[in-house]
Amino acid sequence: MLRIEHYSKTYPGGKKAVDDLTLHVRPGEIYGFIGHNGAGKTTTLRAVAGVMDFTEGTITIDGHDIKKDPVGAKRVTAFLPDNPDLYEFMKGIDYLNFIADLYGIPADQRTKDIAKFGDAFELTGNLGSPIGSYSHGMRQKLALISAFIRRPRLLILDEPFVGLDPAASHLMKGYLAELCQSGSAVFFSTHVLEVAEKLCHQIAIIKDGRLVKCGPTEQLVGDSSLENVFLELEGEK
Amino acid sequence: MKKFFALLKVSVKSMLLSSTNARGRSKKKAVSGVGAVVLIAFLGLYLSGLYSSMLMGVLAPVHMEVLVFIFMGMAALVGGLMFTTFAVKGVVFGGKDNDLLLSMPVSSTMLMASRVSAIYLENLLFAFFVLVPAGAVCAFMTQSGVGHSLLFWVRLIVAVLALPLLDTALSVLLGALVAFLSAKVSRGALGQNIVMALYMVAVFWFVFHLNGMIEGLAANAAGVKQSLSWAAPLLWMGDGIMGDWGFLLAFAACCIVPFVLVVFGLGRVYRQAVTAFAARSARNDYRLSAQSASGQNKALLAKEAKRFFGTPMYMWNSGTGLIMLVAAGVAALVMKDDLREFIAMMGGDFPAALAVAVVMGFSLSMCAIAAPSISLEGKYLWILREAPVGEGTLIWIKAGFQLLLSVPCTIIAGVCLASALQISLWEGTVLLAAALLFNVAHAAFGMLVGLAFPKLDAVNETVIIKQSLATTLGIFVPMAAVGACALLYWLGGMLAPWAAPALPVALLVVLAVVCAAVLARRGPAMLQAL
Repeated sequence: MLRIEHYSKTYPGGKKAVDDLTLHVRPGEIYGFIGHNGAGKTTTLRAVAGVMDFTEGTITIDGHDIKKDPVGAKRVTAFLPDNPDLYEFMKGIDYLNFIADLYGIPADQRTKDIAKFGDAFELTGNLGSPIGSYSHGMRQKLALISAFIRRPRLLILDEPFVGLDPAASHLMKGYLAELCQSGSAVFFSTHVLEVAEKLCHQIAIIKDGRLVKCGPTEQLVGDSSLENVFLELEGEK
Repeated sequence: MKKFFALLKVSVKSMLLSSTNARGRSKKKAVSGVGAVVLIAFLGLYLSGLYSSMLMGVLAPVHMEVLVFIFMGMAALVGGLMFTTFAVKGVVFGGKDNDLLLSMPVSSTMLMASRVSAIYLENLLFAFFVLVPAGAVCAFMTQSGVGHSLLFWVRLIVAVLALPLLDTALSVLLGALVAFLSAKVSRGALGQNIVMALYMVAVFWFVFHLNGMIEGLAANAAGVKQSLSWAAPLLWMGDGIMGDWGFLLAFAACCIVPFVLVVFGLGRVYRQAVTAFAARSARNDYRLSAQSASGQNKALLAKEAKRFFGTPMYMWNSGTGLIMLVAAGVAALVMKDDLREFIAMMGGDFPAALAVAVVMGFSLSMCAIAAPSISLEGKYLWILREAPVGEGTLIWIKAGFQLLLSVPCTIIAGVCLASALQISLWEGTVLLAAALLFNVAHAAFGMLVGLAFPKLDAVNETVIIKQSLATTLGIFVPMAAVGACALLYWLGGMLAPWAAPALPVALLVVLAVVCAAVLARRGPAMLQAL
């Protein structure tokens, strides 16, 4: 589903944020991306989402090269940044319809999905209000709903659990699993290692822009815990 | 005081940086910011000098130079109010750093004072550009020696420093009302738009009223002055500048007292005001019904429209030119007999088509809708960049939205003006074609400067719409193009009758083609590189 081959990103001034990263996410997989602050996680996720240009390598989503066919790749993708800023001048329902229009989602399908996810995240009643009046958590939920109604082949999430209440986090984990069962894939970054350990089929650990370890969660963790593995690799234990 | 100056420094720095896309100490970027200020200064001085000299030409022979300062004072006051009232909502009450600064060990009055001082500086700049040229014109054209003494300039400077205090006090009060309406009225943008519409009606009434007064100036200047008793502080300012220190002190007191009252009065409740104006709770009574679908382009255009009409600051700053354009067209039709009489008085050689073209060109230049639109995306840019839409589509939708608004207004105003002034069908067609070409060039150029000088990390929308380099260039470069067209018309007229309209139209064709071609070729890459 997602193939990252020898991806590198160098910022103006010569600082290499990510160096020669190769990583594959298969359909039906939830892939966790772990690393300390500034390791290159967000830079990678933004490049995969086609939001940011990169220096070297190729990124392919469902057969679409993000550089050569960005529109094709984005059509099957949904991306949520760590702090999703949404148009404050729009009402919640207007934003969902705006996104649905950009992705060509038919009217009956969007109505059904907005009702399903809106009710689940307890946001339907608020959809008639301007986003400017939403709390941080409500915006996070609206952004999640806007991602789920696209029924993406690849869902890219940057720190998705930050700002969500426990009920919404639980709900989201269920929907991520449901999405993967339908053949889609999820690629997300997190600092919540317990969640990554329980939720992810595969995990990659990145340090200073380089991939230090990746593989199936059980193999990577073994008899230890993900926290121990992470701290050992980071040289803090 | 040390804390106050530290806060003021932050506000002033933020204001200065707002006109550039600088994020560091790049000399090139700093120069571009200074260049924008110099450009505004030059045009402000030029326009004010022009109107002052027109008035002075009528008033100096009857020794009523004082009226020039009264009228220019009114212009500075009304213009300042128009520029800063909506800025107050963003700068004073809606700053993104409010939470940070309110958590610091400084009094809220001091914080309020530093914010208001930033507004004062903006008004001061405007008052300076309006009143100082009036003083210079007075010194050159006076027949009674006013303006030749050093004390005259001292009094003028006192007036220049004092007037923005009154302006600032009024704009802070009005801005607080706008912020209150935004927070309390469920459709805040509608409430603000109504306030601004009433404000514009008042300004238009004032301008027409003023025009009536100016017509009778030479015959009855003293009477006109007497009829202005409702604007007593400005009369005192005029008399003060002319030499009466008592009136000048009274005027200064009239400016200082409201300013101090506003700063200390609102300063005491600043924390409460910021909290109240920011508090907007989401309703919980929406019932989902069947949704309808539309295409990508329609959705993107609708989004641009929602932003434009839902952001009063954007609509009233970038749309004023269009309102003026249509108002000019309708007013010309209503007052067509007076206009025809005026043209007949000017003689058969009066280039009515050129005059209409210049009026339309300047009004359209003020319609910088595309120029700030990329910067307005700011923190929301990720939404468009992750969407399955090509960069080319995104930039043409933005340019197209400007055209969607400006083209109908151009056609309405063009037809009304051409009909009112009895411009021939041939000249009218050329005029309309030229205006439409100008629209295309302006929209494409606006997008290009928006992409070249983005301000994606602005503290609020106000600094993007009113002070960013892209907006400044998006207004003043097209104005310069209008000037170039007028010059070509004049030069062409000296060569052959057909060359007079042909040369400016040729220039507009070149500008439209070049701007559109550069936008098509470079625009997508520029957007991708942001």
